[in-house]
Amino acid sequence: MNTTAPRADMPPSSALIKLMGVVSLICGLLIVTTHQQTLAPIRHNQEIILSETVAELLPGAKKQVSYGVDASGNLSIVEGAEFAGPRLFAGYDAYGGLIGVVIEGGERGYADVIRAMFAYSPQKKAIVGFKVTELKETPGLGDKISSDKKFLSNFKDLDASLEHPIVTVKSGTKKNRWEVDAISGATISSRAVGRLLQKSTKEMIPVIQRNLQRIERGN
Amino acid sequence: MSAPSLTPEIVLRTSPHLHSKRSVGVIMRNVVYAMLPVCAYAVYNFGISVLALLVVSTLSCVLTEHMFCRAAGRPSSIKDSSVIITGILLGLTLPPGFPLWMTAVGGFVAVGLGKMLFGGLGFNVFNPALVGRAFLQAAFPTAITTYTPAQATGRFLEFIPTSLTLPFMQPPVITDWVAKVRIDAFSGATPLTALKFDKVTTEIMPLFWGNVAGSAGETSVILILLGGVYLVARNFMDWRITASMLLSAMAMSGAFYLSNPTAFPNPLFMLFSGGLMLGAVFMATDMVASPVTPLGVWIYGAVMGVMTILIRLLGGLPEGVMYAILLANAVSPAIDNLTQPRVYGTKKKAEAKA
Amino acid sequence: MGHDHGATVSPSENMEAFLNGLWKQNPVFVQVLGTCPTMAITNSARNAVAMGLATLFVLVFSNMLISMVRRLVQKQVRIATYILIIATFVTMVDYIIKAVSIDVYKALGPFIALIVVNCIILGRAEAFAGKNPVWQSILDGFGMGIGFFIALFCLGSVREILGAGTLFGFSLFGSNFQPWVLFLLPSGGFFTLASWLLVFAWWKERGKAKEAQA
Repeated sequence: MNTTAPRADMPPSSALIKLMGVVSLICGLLIVTTHQQTLAPIRHNQEIILSETVAELLPGAKKQVSYGVDASGNLSIVEGAEFAGPRLFAGYDAYGGLIGVVIEGGERGYADVIRAMFAYSPQKKAIVGFKVTELKETPGLGDKISSDKKFLSNFKDLDASLEHPIVTVKSGTKKNRWEVDAISGATISSRAVGRLLQKSTKEMIPVIQRNLQRIERGN
Repeated sequence: MSAPSLTPEIVLRTSPHLHSKRSVGVIMRNVVYAMLPVCAYAVYNFGISVLALLVVSTLSCVLTEHMFCRAAGRPSSIKDSSVIITGILLGLTLPPGFPLWMTAVGGFVAVGLGKMLFGGLGFNVFNPALVGRAFLQAAFPTAITTYTPAQATGRFLEFIPTSLTLPFMQPPVITDWVAKVRIDAFSGATPLTALKFDKVTTEIMPLFWGNVAGSAGETSVILILLGGVYLVARNFMDWRITASMLLSAMAMSGAFYLSNPTAFPNPLFMLFSGGLMLGAVFMATDMVASPVTPLGVWIYGAVMGVMTILIRLLGGLPEGVMYAILLANAVSPAIDNLTQPRVYGTKKKAEAKA
Repeated sequence: MGHDHGATVSPSENMEAFLNGLWKQNPVFVQVLGTCPTMAITNSARNAVAMGLATLFVLVFSNMLISMVRRLVQKQVRIATYILIIATFVTMVDYIIKAVSIDVYKALGPFIALIVVNCIILGRAEAFAGKNPVWQSILDGFGMGIGFFIALFCLGSVREILGAGTLFGFSLFGSNFQPWVLFLLPSGGFFTLASWLLVFAWWKERGKAKEAQA
């Protein structure tokens, strides 16, 4: 094609703009319709995942209440996946007694940020359950933190009284209740979990303690 | 592997022109001799498991080359001994208790993928042994970072349990076994792992003699250097690559050390630990994968030395020699291009433009 | 292909449009197109199937719509129009997957948006749907989409079997199997693709050799 000469077959710009406008309109309509149709199921899905995780971390929980934590550490009940800030999920047994509180946390691992949820029992002052919710660690190595049974048994009763910082120690050298025994060969990811727990417990447990009566009532 | 000397001057002589006896086979066999003391010490240090490791890695490499040659309908090229070097080097870079079936996989990949698919000796872009090791590192990251202590009791009578893992099965956990056989003061952690994860620096003398944990053949600095000196003395190896790699690694880690002596280890430790010596003497000098121009070999060595230290100190891995050499292999044609000497009688670029 | 016959299309040409993408012009194994999603997503059979279906959906509908409007689109703005249409269907797939299964969405999340720039889709719009009638374009979309799906499945199943010892999450070799982690990483995708290409090249060569003999 000769690019220097003015092109005789060039249609007027208005025609091109009109065409793009019509196509955009059709496309826009399609997208908006799909968005409207899928909004409810998407929200519902996210809710289900969250409450399933909480139920898994707090076995026996029949009722859940989720609280949003604002910047000054005050609680408010939030519904759905709307609240942007940190959240706490309280689980209650069939008689309304508080079983524990699930806390969310994140920390940089080997490949990317590891996100996890863990259960805190105010009576035991200990972490009683732990689940990784998002990770991109090396498959077969770092990603063992979400599946390795021995590693996860660290979190059946991990001291979170805040008297000692939670630390990850070398594989096979755990001596105290506040230590996390690392996975041999996945030291970096194991340490990230230790830091994650230390950071979140330090932030959130005082909030829970302060509002414990309210959380126990579930309002 | 080593390169024949690249003499820059042109020697003009009248006839008769003598044919050099330095065939590929002769050079390669001499490299094998230079590696024998390292192999012997590796067996002494870690026991019969290493003997089996070296035999399996060499056999799998030789067999793979033979098979590929037959499949391509070419005469078998195993007689030039270069494949034996690949096999021994692969064995030397693996942990002593590395499962033998994985070693065989590594040998197959090293020669099959790293050498034969490129067209055989002389056409490989990367050092074949390191291609095999890189594959194993990516495929079996746990097994290749499971090290056992040196000088373990009964090492000449029994295999390290992981060595004899059944094919395609996971190696057993050997924490208890290590606790049973290890002698006090000998730890299963390699000096570089200890540095990365526990911030512990190992003393220089054990590193120099070699009675520390690590990959089978990387521990003894003195024996590797002796092998190198032999090859240089007989003019089978380009000493400039080794010198450039070691000096740049020293300079780089020295700069880190001076900037913060508490956070970074001293340069001598960096020089003597891990696979740096083994890599600099026997792998960086691979004559196929390295540049040929005089300036190029210095740049090539420097790329490897600097990358090794950067990976070790700033990366997520404790050791970086393997990736440093593979990276330098990849840029070696570019180095050659950039450092072409000016042809005599032609003008420099700047003059030509003006 | 490339002619515009209007409504008069013979059944054999329809078949041709469909089979072309399935085998002879397989987008991954023959044209080696769209390798970015191919490498990134095929570390398990389930992800491969999900990505294959999502791409198939986008390919069929974008081919259909583009073919419908092909006479209205001036050639100066055709690429912009095609991209707009493709992006619309990709956004729809994004919402639908999120609504159907969060698990699949978590695995595919960042890659769904990338379907927009999967060159197979724009390639078919430019090479086929922009010049051919609707029905044929839909068949071409199905053929290419299923061809892509098969290729992803070939890669995904091999990588999952070697990399994790499972297929669709079911353990194949018992718990003691040593997984080859490499095959779960992107580099393992290249190894697997190269091996498949090797197999097909060998097959083709053998076919040629047989023909030459006969």
